[in-house]
Amino acid sequence: MFTDIAVALQISFTYFTIFYLTGTGGLFSERSGIVNIGLEGLMIIGTVTGAFGARYFTDTMGLGEIWGPLLGLLLGALCAMLFAGIHALATVTFRTDHIVSGVVINLAAIGVARYLSQAFFGQATQSDPGGPRLPRIDIPFLSSLPEGLGRAFSNLSPFVLLAAVAIVPVWFALYRTRWGLRLRSCGENPEAARSLGLNVSAYRYQGVLLSGFFAGASGAFLASEIIGNWREGQTLGFGFISLAALIIANWNPRRLLFFAWLFGFAQAIPLRLNDAPIISLLPAQFIRMIPYVVTIVAIAGVVGKVRPPAAAGKAYEGGTTI
Amino acid sequence: MAVERAALERAAGRERLLGTFGALGGALAIALVLGSVLILLYGESPLSVYASILDASFGSTTGLGYVLASATPLIFSGLAVAVCFKAGLFNIGVEGQYLVGMVGAAFAALYLPQDLPGFLLVPAILIAAMLGGLAWAAIPALLKVKTGAHEVVTTIMLNGVAGSLVAWAINFPLRFVPPPGQNVDLRSRNFPTQGLVGDLGQYIGVSGGAHLSWLLLLAVAAAGVTWFLLRRTRLGYEARAVGATPGSARAAGIRIDSTQVRLFLISGALAGLAGMQQILADKGYLPQNYIAQVGFTGISVAFLGQNNPIAIVFAAILWGILSRGETALQITSSVPREFIIILQSILILSVVITYLIAKRRLAARELSRAAEVERDAEAAA
Repeated sequence: MFTDIAVALQISFTYFTIFYLTGTGGLFSERSGIVNIGLEGLMIIGTVTGAFGARYFTDTMGLGEIWGPLLGLLLGALCAMLFAGIHALATVTFRTDHIVSGVVINLAAIGVARYLSQAFFGQATQSDPGGPRLPRIDIPFLSSLPEGLGRAFSNLSPFVLLAAVAIVPVWFALYRTRWGLRLRSCGENPEAARSLGLNVSAYRYQGVLLSGFFAGASGAFLASEIIGNWREGQTLGFGFISLAALIIANWNPRRLLFFAWLFGFAQAIPLRLNDAPIISLLPAQFIRMIPYVVTIVAIAGVVGKVRPPAAAGKAYEGGTTI
Repeated sequence: MAVERAALERAAGRERLLGTFGALGGALAIALVLGSVLILLYGESPLSVYASILDASFGSTTGLGYVLASATPLIFSGLAVAVCFKAGLFNIGVEGQYLVGMVGAAFAALYLPQDLPGFLLVPAILIAAMLGGLAWAAIPALLKVKTGAHEVVTTIMLNGVAGSLVAWAINFPLRFVPPPGQNVDLRSRNFPTQGLVGDLGQYIGVSGGAHLSWLLLLAVAAAGVTWFLLRRTRLGYEARAVGATPGSARAAGIRIDSTQVRLFLISGALAGLAGMQQILADKGYLPQNYIAQVGFTGISVAFLGQNNPIAIVFAAILWGILSRGETALQITSSVPREFIIILQSILILSVVITYLIAKRRLAARELSRAAEVERDAEAAA
């Protein structure tokens, strides 16, 4: 029992990383005033380019088992950032409806990913399994907890730690720097920001591009570090779950830390806790519904108690908000 | 004066139509040009590649039959997306509603009296499909108006749940247990044959393999009904008002919640029909490897048709032509079939932007025209 819980916790940390990174991406975009439901698509771009990058830098370039996977992740993040540029162009420059553009990003990403996969791997819907990944680490002290509980903190990807620690610079950048204050003011009141001489469009571009960077890193982590290869459809709606976590966290990076973990734990239930009391009474197909149902219940329970950035989702035309 | 105004209205209507087609044409041109660049990168001739795509659809009646058969479900899913979109609702859950529609239909087909004549059984199955989709759409609709949960997140999550629901249905209650020694993929039992939809292709020289069915006519009729609903009924008027300016709609006494719920339910019912081509015209059972993405493709089709029900029929056919081109590419050129998906993506991206530009220009025109009318009126006075 304890071992099952420990392993479920370990899985939850992995999913936490996915949701936290992608959610942080959404945080930058939405705080700057651009709603981004294209996170899923950005993750998809991250998965295919990240998986390619890990192989390319490790095997073809021969950069070794540390630099190879690291640069692979970076490539995934940068490619998704480039792709996020389309969302920025559509919403900031052409002032398209943010949701419409986000939907299009998600649709287009599927096609682009297949095309890239064909070019990278010679097959459209997956790459060969067992791609390079970083050596696993054990967290000192915690990993030697008794009763099998230590397993929760052992054999983790270093990126899990990296994502958890990322909260510090993210929080600092948003709340303790001039840049963060300005970015947030563009999301709350673009007219006021403009009247102070800020280039609202530039901040919004930065917000959207950062969302691509983080969502892409998350996708690359998913493909290379967890699964070991690229597979079509492997994002399974994680971009949307991250978005839900962001909403429930009230667009606050510290609360996002908790909710990303909570949703991560929900993911671990069908994977590891299907023999637990009560849960074991359900057919397997119903257990697999749990993470989705948890997300729906959570989001239905908090709306009204949270407040999105005031100008998020509204087109801004240099002076008037329409 | 009144005559003049009517003439102006007609002119405005003509311009709107021109704007719609102009935007679509512009987007198609952008996609074809960018597509040509990609084709050139593969060292092939764009003209011959495009010609082979067109030839696959229009070279034979059967080719055309395939196109129309693949357009059939897309008309339903495109309409489902458009109905919600008109009221500013984003039903990303057509995918899930379509799956639950198939489950509902399969239950009806297998649990209704098996000796029901076809003219009763087929409508019953179709109604069950619509009810399935409707029930699945009711969840995000009610969550939206009762709790404010955004439909994009809830519908996406429900898509995931729907996938598991199909898996459960074909694993347990509907499971086909093959006779010993026979090995078949996981699927539901066969539906009674009189519950299937008849072939339409045989009357116009399309081979049976295309599975072109009467559902195409039902889809076109559904487009007509949807057009009427959105353009000529009170609900349609309310939908457009809520979608355009919720604030004024509320001020005009429209109950936004109830409008949104009703549209969501209609959308779900339409989505429920999207799976019927697959199970009633093609397979005759609910397969495990059903065609995914029918609901998501509906979003693309609705964008292409700019949420106009009639234009959606043509957009679905255009999509069918492009998809049919995938097979042609494999045979006639070295350009990978994924090229088509890229072409479709570019098309969607550009249509969103060209339509927006067209809409802005139209709005500017209309403003200047209104100003002119006012000036004339002043001059007359």
